[in-house]
Amino acid sequence: MAPQVETVRDAAVEERRQRAVESLMLSEHVRHERFDRITRLARLLFAVPMSTITVIDGDRAWFPSSQGIEATEAPRGETFCDRTTDLDALVVVPDAQVDDRFSDLPAVQAGVVRFYAGHPLRDALGNVVGTFCLYDAEPRELEGELLGAFGDMAAWAQQELVASTEMSQAGRVQASLLPAKAVRIGDWEVNGVCLPALAVGGDFYDYGTSSGVIHVGLGDVMGKGTGAALVGAGVRAAVRGTHAAVTAGVDLGITVTQVARSMLTDLEQAESFVTLFEAAIDLDDGYARYVDAGSGLCLVMSPTGEVRRLAGQDRPLGVLPDDHWTEHESTLEPGSRMLVFSDGLLDLVDDEISWWVPIGDLMRAASDVDSLLASIAGLVQELTALDDVTAVAVFRHLPQEASS
Amino acid sequence: MIEFAVETRDDGIGVVTPQGRLNMVSARRLKEILSELVAGGTHRIVVDLGETTFLDSSGLGALIGGLKSARQSGGDLRIARVSPAVMTVFELTNLDRVLRARDSVDSAFDD
Repeated sequence: MAPQVETVRDAAVEERRQRAVESLMLSEHVRHERFDRITRLARLLFAVPMSTITVIDGDRAWFPSSQGIEATEAPRGETFCDRTTDLDALVVVPDAQVDDRFSDLPAVQAGVVRFYAGHPLRDALGNVVGTFCLYDAEPRELEGELLGAFGDMAAWAQQELVASTEMSQAGRVQASLLPAKAVRIGDWEVNGVCLPALAVGGDFYDYGTSSGVIHVGLGDVMGKGTGAALVGAGVRAAVRGTHAAVTAGVDLGITVTQVARSMLTDLEQAESFVTLFEAAIDLDDGYARYVDAGSGLCLVMSPTGEVRRLAGQDRPLGVLPDDHWTEHESTLEPGSRMLVFSDGLLDLVDDEISWWVPIGDLMRAASDVDSLLASIAGLVQELTALDDVTAVAVFRHLPQEASS
Repeated sequence: MIEFAVETRDDGIGVVTPQGRLNMVSARRLKEILSELVAGGTHRIVVDLGETTFLDSSGLGALIGGLKSARQSGGDLRIARVSPAVMTVFELTNLDRVLRARDSVDSAFDD
């Protein structure tokens, strides 16, 4: 076993690539007709006995679609596709027996494959999530129009693997349901960000002011995609309907319990549940009332920089039919910062057990809400989040900060 | 890709052991396995999380769904051997009191 090809794999690139592969959420052991169409046609068009769409997943290469090959997966290191993935470029091997980059592969040694052509399939961020491949037992060339056609079919395969126009449209609709702009009133500043892992996501947030009270809410619907988004839109609307009562002084625990009751049938039918953090903050004195329904992900930084968690003992909405929720209270002094977020962010910090330490550091380092949200969005992009990442930041600046 | 070991013991308790990451894709499979067990008459189930490295809200959903259907059939679902990292997911959602973690599979139904 001699490494013929330059396979110095960058660990960071590989980690990001692996996460990108997982975020495809491809089911194994089922036929994917949308991929089979492509490999069937490829076999016919290029007159080759074998064609695959291959995904390198951990230490395996597996085939979301394959024609002319019995196996459904192979050890990663024994595949042409692994090397194409590392090279991140179109690879055409007229005769693998005389190509020392590939001649050691078992399929070549066994005389099963001599010709190979592989095209990397990339996601929107450029991660190589799969390869589109042709194989023949005889040496041959791939040139001219056929080479062009191979590129075209690879683009089609890439589209099927990573994109869906309908979903991105749904994502735009969902984004339009979120508050359009930041709230800046006096010393207060509120803004949020929602970065779905798929085109549409199960997270939602909302904020708005009424009669000197700011309402901040963040929910996370179990699951991802369109189903979760529809449930989220329902919960968000139901919570918004209680804002006037909460402003007037009604206990937040009672209103959240009402929302849970009204959503229970929907949640049970969708076999889903929702974690929710909802707060009502008085803009005059910073007196904050909140309910934590199984979210547990709210941090408050004091003016001196200590971080504390705002959390409760209550369960998510939709778990137990006769559950109740309790209002808690806290105060945001001038110079305080609050960050509410979804659990997708936990996956992106180094210390998942003491997550409040790295996230507290982000809160401390930020100069305003927008720079805090930008640093979170940066993590999402850098590490390819697998789950939806949503955050709402509330800063109460010191009086001189706002006027300077 | 996650694997599931499923076993029904002599005392009628079903033991499901997810090996790897319980995310949206594998949670669907876990949900199927749990409902097949309950439908097949196994109403007492232990989910052994000793080999589960990651659990997201979809995984929690599958466990809660399994808990509900097991209880509706007069049984129960218990979880055992939860790692500290996975335990934080139960604690954050306050579901650690709905699904109390047991130290071992064998003793999961002792109380």
